[in-house]
Amino acid sequence: MTGFALRRTLQALVVLVGVSVVAFALVHLVPGDPVRLALGTRFDQATYDALRERAGLDQPLLTQFFTWFGGAVTGDLGVSFRSGDPVTLLILERLPATASLAVASIVVALLIAVPLGTASALRPRSVVDGAGTVLSQIGISVPEFWMGIMLILVFAGTLGWFPAGGYVPLSEDPVGWLRSLVLPAVTTGLVSGSVLTRFTRSSVLEALSAEHVRTARAKGLGARAVLNWHVLRNALLPLVTVTGVQLAYLLSGVVVVEIVFAWPGLGQLALQSVQARDYPVLQGAVLLFALVFLVLNLVVDLLYSKLDPRISA
Amino acid sequence: MRRRSVLATLAASPLVVAGCSAGDEVPTGEGNASGGGGGTGAFVAAISAQPDQLDPHKTTAYAAFQVLENVYDTLVVPSPDDLSMQPSLATDWETSDDELTWTFTLVEGATFHDGTPFRASDVVFSYRRIIDQQLANSARFATVADITAPDDSTVVITLNQPTPNLLSRIGAFKGMAIVSQDVDEQSLTTQANGTGPFSLQGSSASEISLSRFEDYWGDAPQIGGVTFQFLPEPAAALTALTTDQVQWTDNVPPQRVATLGDDESVELGQVPSVDYWYLAMNCAKAPFDDVAVRRAVAFAVDREAVTEAAKFDTARPNQTAIPEGSEWYYDYAPFETDVDQARQLLQQAGVQGPLTMGLMVTSEYPETVTAAQVLASQLEPLGITVDIQTEDFATWLDRQGRGDFDAFMLGWLGNIDPADFYDEQHRTDGPNNYQKYSNPVTDDLLDRASVEPDRDTRKSLYDQAAKQIVDDVSYLYLYNPDAVQVWKQGITGYEVRADKAVNFDTVVLPS
Amino acid sequence: MSATTGETGETGETGETGVTAAPRRRPSLAGLRLLLSSPPSAAAAVVLVVVVLVALFDEQIAPAGANDVDVTQRLQAPGPGHWFGTDDLGRDVLSRVVLGAKVSLQVGAVAVGFSLVAGVLVGLFAGFYGRWVDTVLMRFMDVLFAFPAILLAIAVIAVLGPGTTNAMIAIGITYTPVFARVTRSAVLGVRETVYVRASRSTGASDLRLLFRHVLPNAAPPVIVQTSVSLAFAVLAEAALSFVGLGTQPPDPSWGRMLSEGRGYIDLAWWIAVFPGLAIVLLVLSFNLLGDGLRDVLDPQQRSALQAGKRTPGGRRGRRSR
Repeated sequence: MTGFALRRTLQALVVLVGVSVVAFALVHLVPGDPVRLALGTRFDQATYDALRERAGLDQPLLTQFFTWFGGAVTGDLGVSFRSGDPVTLLILERLPATASLAVASIVVALLIAVPLGTASALRPRSVVDGAGTVLSQIGISVPEFWMGIMLILVFAGTLGWFPAGGYVPLSEDPVGWLRSLVLPAVTTGLVSGSVLTRFTRSSVLEALSAEHVRTARAKGLGARAVLNWHVLRNALLPLVTVTGVQLAYLLSGVVVVEIVFAWPGLGQLALQSVQARDYPVLQGAVLLFALVFLVLNLVVDLLYSKLDPRISA
Repeated sequence: MRRRSVLATLAASPLVVAGCSAGDEVPTGEGNASGGGGGTGAFVAAISAQPDQLDPHKTTAYAAFQVLENVYDTLVVPSPDDLSMQPSLATDWETSDDELTWTFTLVEGATFHDGTPFRASDVVFSYRRIIDQQLANSARFATVADITAPDDSTVVITLNQPTPNLLSRIGAFKGMAIVSQDVDEQSLTTQANGTGPFSLQGSSASEISLSRFEDYWGDAPQIGGVTFQFLPEPAAALTALTTDQVQWTDNVPPQRVATLGDDESVELGQVPSVDYWYLAMNCAKAPFDDVAVRRAVAFAVDREAVTEAAKFDTARPNQTAIPEGSEWYYDYAPFETDVDQARQLLQQAGVQGPLTMGLMVTSEYPETVTAAQVLASQLEPLGITVDIQTEDFATWLDRQGRGDFDAFMLGWLGNIDPADFYDEQHRTDGPNNYQKYSNPVTDDLLDRASVEPDRDTRKSLYDQAAKQIVDDVSYLYLYNPDAVQVWKQGITGYEVRADKAVNFDTVVLPS
Repeated sequence: MSATTGETGETGETGETGVTAAPRRRPSLAGLRLLLSSPPSAAAAVVLVVVVLVALFDEQIAPAGANDVDVTQRLQAPGPGHWFGTDDLGRDVLSRVVLGAKVSLQVGAVAVGFSLVAGVLVGLFAGFYGRWVDTVLMRFMDVLFAFPAILLAIAVIAVLGPGTTNAMIAIGITYTPVFARVTRSAVLGVRETVYVRASRSTGASDLRLLFRHVLPNAAPPVIVQTSVSLAFAVLAEAALSFVGLGTQPPDPSWGRMLSEGRGYIDLAWWIAVFPGLAIVLLVLSFNLLGDGLRDVLDPQQRSALQAGKRTPGGRRGRRSR
């Protein structure tokens, strides 16, 4: 590992520790009491005290933190206040839904971005380019949940082509899985696609203006051949890394879209645990999000440093 | 039964209805989108939330009870017609002359889902668990001195004081379910071993599936199983119903009821429920500690408009807690919307100038947010500015517990006995008397009613208490909502209940 | 969008060696003329002026009170009397959209103002002093940045309590790291330039240097980031109101109206469609203006972006959903 890589990795670890401290502090600053909530509206002091002790909430905060942090380092994220399940189990249970959605959204985004971005770059200032620009600007200006609601209204309600919400595990029914995936994936994919379209356009433009492409063109290679071999390859690597970053975002739980589509993913889990004051689950989920985010960013950074040696200098 | 393992689901087979014993991991294929309904034995119910856990003695979530209702039994159970207590696991009971000893005779031949026979010691174990560990419903046993099992089919409950509503205390809902004494208590949060008509098959983040329990002591269900799907979005739930992804849902927003009633493909069940929704003002905080101020608010509020706004045609305005149709209903409506009278009352109370009332509502129950906006507009002419504070439920409960509010709006659900309606909420220092209401007259009436064995005398005592509570505006009662549920046309044998308990054991699918 | 794509600057350390040669063009009257000569920017500017005017004269423009509840008039379709129809409580949707403009602009301005001030200060000091100041400040920003934006905002609101003001603070905190990074990398770019070194050698104090020389030169990317962040603040407020944590009823905020209208979408589409369009229009204007501003103020960054050396969605604010 080079010095740069080592430094960035250490940095990511420091940030991760910081995240766990901030997450813990923030979570415990929130007013509202998980034990009180678990009891519901009918209250009884003795029951309350008993539950509180069982959850370890009568311990000093610092003790609670180190107990949790010590466990987290060894991969034990504790048990949920709400259900009593191990947090790791709850997260693993939700992971397939979130991963399915993230990957499908990226596929949708790329299906939009690569053709549209490339076409725009090949004919700058043409009708296609203009349309692409306008569409991607609108795409990033529409509230995601709003788009989701509209898609449900049209494609699930009026046309009845796809389910309006809910998730079918792949292992249970592949066709159902795909059908349940379409609307949420299109919703998030359209927005990610708008971002990626703009990026594809600019990186293809850049690649087209690169010296060797001009040379290839001068050598008489047709525009199409040049596009295939030289341009796309050069535009691809940066695109892959951006896609990685988008993936990190999608894996961190697209909270609001998951709510709209009743998608049992990590974002929904996190929101539910905020509402339920389920400290262990929330801390675990945030830690996982931060980890995914930091790892993917680290990979992106290291890739860039490989591409452009100036950076790691 | 364990959670469905990955391997088991990969080997997914079509609907398996065979009774299964403990440890079996029988995957079910029902309940997914392509399953469809009608005749195949698949029955999917869309509920609006994921149960927090499955331990009947610990959960307080309605979603959990929707599932548990079908998995567990109680000694007695509210009848679907009038919610009076009728036999279930107990076939018969006797009360001693001093009203302090109740002897229950248990049903013959009932078994738990794991095959072990149901015995009196299971009842003792279950009740002792609730009492000794001070679980969520332990207050229901407040008057219980001891529980014993002289033999396998007899349970004796001895009391400290006469408790005429003991049956509704132990039978009103599945929070008093009988679990097996052999159970690993930790496992109860995710597994279930009851005596009910369905046994738990598997659960995931999006659904819980049950299958028919072949050895059920009562009439075994007609359908092979039930899958509960969690669809919090009403639009998603209703679309799922129209596209036949699910066959039943209770996630019906009030504004959709009219159109659903016209829809030929679904059947709409609408029954007045025993829930009530109310506004409570802080009796320990000026100026709301003055009964005249509270009465002024009560005169300014137009309940019809609030009800119409929040619930469309799915609720009935009421000035008392108990809905018409209940045997405990008391016809009393002293408040006529009258802003002038309200103004006079405010003057009488010496309230000068504009008054701000913080009104705490919760996004957990969106109807409180809607109603609050109407209440705000109704109190404006009175010079009361309503500051609506929408809290999430955890913060809400916290503030409520600390008395940190001017006023709040919420509901009480599934009330069966008048004690559910009045005792905890309006007795001085009652556990749920967050508004800090205190009137010795009310206390005395409630005390006498709680030990009164004669039904008619008891009713008259509660009527007097209700009158006092309404006059003092301890609660400003607003409305009783209907229980609204829809299912696919052709499904028979299902009944909407006033207590919103959901029983699928009698459902018959079209062939 | 994603947390990382959210910044105008680089990922991580790249900025230290970022391309920094020419001083950026400073905002000027000529620049403004140049900006408005581009049709999208001009259109965006017109829309923004209109929205600001609407927000300023809301009470005069609105045909009815935004909170005039009348259940008997509920769910009226658009038509004479109620051009945008009425909502579930019989309130005039047009009036609520008009009054909602103020909320959206306020939330945007205050939230972005918060992150602008906090982020620029952090970025200035981190970039100028370097060493441990830089490390401590920027690692803390990284920590905030590593939280999923909406979750961070939700958690902050959970601590502070729901409401418009707290939503502004929550959104402000969420976007602070973006401004810190943008400012820091701009500062790194000018720190060693000839004229800063020259002023330093003449004995100018640190503060004077920072605010007289360094800050103005860091301004262009910060201005661009501001416009883009305004767009995302408006979206973030909508998202927070959607989960019930933003503006409190009965105040009309577009985000709130969207979430209220959601349940009526198939019965009364107008309740949610009009505020939805208003949001799209406002956000689109901020985005277009951001693009235009970048072209005018910061050609440097534009070319860097096009070279793909920076985080791509790079130009975009952190999107909180």
